[in-house]
Amino acid sequence: MEMKKTRKRLQANGRLREIITDFYADGHRAKAEGRPVVWIPPMNGMIELFYAMDIHPVFPENWAPLCAAIGTNRQNFTSAAERGFSGDLCGYFRNNVGYALAGIEEPNQPLGGLPKPDFLISFGAGCIPTQKTFQVLCDHFRVPVIRADLPQVAMEEIKEHHIRYGVVQTERVVRFLEEKTGHRLDMDRLRQAVIYTDEACRLWDEIMALRATVPAPFSAAEIGIMFVMVTRHGTKIAVDFLREVLAEVKEKVARGEGVIPNERIRLFWDNIPLWYNMAIFNYFEKWDAVVVAETYSAAWSLRLDPERPMESLVYKSLVSYPLVSCVSLEKRLELIVKAVREYKIDGAILHSNRSCKPISMGQMDIGRVLAEKLGCPSVMFDGDHMDGDRFSFAQFQTRIDAFMEMLRERKNL
Amino acid sequence: MGTLCSHVPVEILHAFGVLPVRLWGQAEEIGRADALLQTYICPPVRNLMALSLSGRYDFLDGLIHTYCCDATCGLFNIWRRNRKPRFSRMVSLPYQATEEAVDYAVAEFRGLIDALADFTGKPFSEETLAGSIRLYEQARGLLRDLYRLKKEGAAIPYSEIYRLNLLFQLLPIERFIPLCREYRPPAAEVSARQIRILLSGSVVADEEILERIEELGGRIIADDTCLGLRPLQGRIAENGDPLRALAAFYLGRPPCASRADLPSRRRYLMETIASTKAEAVIFIHQKFCDPHLSDHPLLKQTLEERGIPQLQFELEGEGGEGKGLTGQVQTRLEGFFEMLEGRAWR
Repeated sequence: MEMKKTRKRLQANGRLREIITDFYADGHRAKAEGRPVVWIPPMNGMIELFYAMDIHPVFPENWAPLCAAIGTNRQNFTSAAERGFSGDLCGYFRNNVGYALAGIEEPNQPLGGLPKPDFLISFGAGCIPTQKTFQVLCDHFRVPVIRADLPQVAMEEIKEHHIRYGVVQTERVVRFLEEKTGHRLDMDRLRQAVIYTDEACRLWDEIMALRATVPAPFSAAEIGIMFVMVTRHGTKIAVDFLREVLAEVKEKVARGEGVIPNERIRLFWDNIPLWYNMAIFNYFEKWDAVVVAETYSAAWSLRLDPERPMESLVYKSLVSYPLVSCVSLEKRLELIVKAVREYKIDGAILHSNRSCKPISMGQMDIGRVLAEKLGCPSVMFDGDHMDGDRFSFAQFQTRIDAFMEMLRERKNL
Repeated sequence: MGTLCSHVPVEILHAFGVLPVRLWGQAEEIGRADALLQTYICPPVRNLMALSLSGRYDFLDGLIHTYCCDATCGLFNIWRRNRKPRFSRMVSLPYQATEEAVDYAVAEFRGLIDALADFTGKPFSEETLAGSIRLYEQARGLLRDLYRLKKEGAAIPYSEIYRLNLLFQLLPIERFIPLCREYRPPAAEVSARQIRILLSGSVVADEEILERIEELGGRIIADDTCLGLRPLQGRIAENGDPLRALAAFYLGRPPCASRADLPSRRRYLMETIASTKAEAVIFIHQKFCDPHLSDHPLLKQTLEERGIPQLQFELEGEGGEGKGLTGQVQTRLEGFFEMLEGRAWR
């Protein structure tokens, strides 16, 4: 039988559930108290700016996985299709457009649904589906919109003029927010938010580095902890939570406690998880295998300088999308090769994701580079991070089972 | 040098004696691309990958792209890594046309200039660039004239304008200009019953479809496509710094689905319809094309509100040259024109 709910083992998951519930409740509280709510893309979102100005940020792209986990994604897809949006478009796009245009008015939405935006930030940046989601939202919600730019540049090509232009764009956003809210941006608060984000990134790296331990203290089934990296950057909430996670993970490492009693095979996962079927990560356990690293493991490996808050945020925004996509294919390959070495990976699972072209493009190269450079085998399966109808568990099993048997033989297990 | 987007500043390439070659096409075996690309990537990108792997583009010295959509960005990086061209460069343009955006675009263009100077061993000269700009301005003007003549009633088949437009993007500009100037449309009467069509899409390169639309009684008097009228619009200022003028020109282009926001696309569509008196719009989209497929429902809604008929279909790109005109596309086109004629009689 197909299991959908993942088995999580970190104690910190209890706290994570509270953080998630509170994040969404906070949105409704903000609305009720008259604090402004802004909808923004997570990539290039500059969350810190909003927290520093007491504006509640809503990230549709974070909402979509929740809909997938709870199952309201199907109704949202139908609503998008009824309005003419092609089923070939990204599942985040179809879910968020369907939700905003119809579902938002329906009762019984997960966590009470999303509070409507008081204004919108539409970035010329990130992937096309994100840009387009916000264009549809801007068309639908008749609220003030600021359109800002952040060009896509491969991480290794970022130059001074890219940062300079990003700062000019950020200053435009600040002026827009100041005008709309009537409050000035307090640079000390922004600096403090940048300090929190920097610390969160540092903690993230430290936590991820501990996964190199054999046996691994936690698996990709716990990747939900990245919720704070997306929605709570710039706040103490992220820092406190990650400290808690770090302490727990350190204890596990000290005790030599792995995810499963007898870890024998270590796997890398490329691309976004199947949000509607996170139990996939537990599937590997029957071969004593653990997914110990994934695309997002190195996604926040950067440091921010609180003395140059604007420049730091621009840099974070500039690298956030290229680093995990085909925009920075060479850098991404470099990071994956590094991860496979450091995490002592035996095999890579490449999720060819119909809902995400920019992350999926280049996977044939990833497979070949791993084989040629490191002798690390990989397997690719067809899936979709949002739409369960585009994922066949039976086909997944056929491919994965054969791959896992091959890995077992290679390791003489 | 191969180029993958109509925002590549061809004038800069020309100023270094480099021939820009716009890449598009249909491979005999699109499946060749499967070694490097998933099948849910759009047909033009898969076709280009297949052509590249079959050696069709081995004559190129390099590849230049201006960042537009996710799929072409992936194509550029995968091509560069697997085909190892001697020169490759991505130019990342901003999405607006403010003063700061122009400053930024100038910096990006300077990066391209430095790389080309390195590659060709030639120094950059503003005078040479100004000369290149004049040539391209002349060529664009000649093509715009053809569109204008067609709009005013001349019997120029759209497929001929389309072919000339491709030559503009392939031939040395010095050869193209006399060729375009010497072009004479066939002497034929235009029936008063023809329906004025605006074509919209990205890389619309299937001549059979273009011809079929006109055979069925349509007259394509304007287009909003990457290989068509969109890259011909606008003027490059003659005074001042030529590089800045060039940057302002490229940023001020008519809105492209990958770069612009919806209000500007909607405005451009409606203005084009008004200025060309188009009676109907045909959207020719590529399967899996995120930018166009995301915009279409809202553009369609606007057209419906204004009572302008529209037809949309997707090309799947399988089966080689000229296979876009499938039975299904044919039937839908015929049905659309029957409907339009019915309306005209009422």
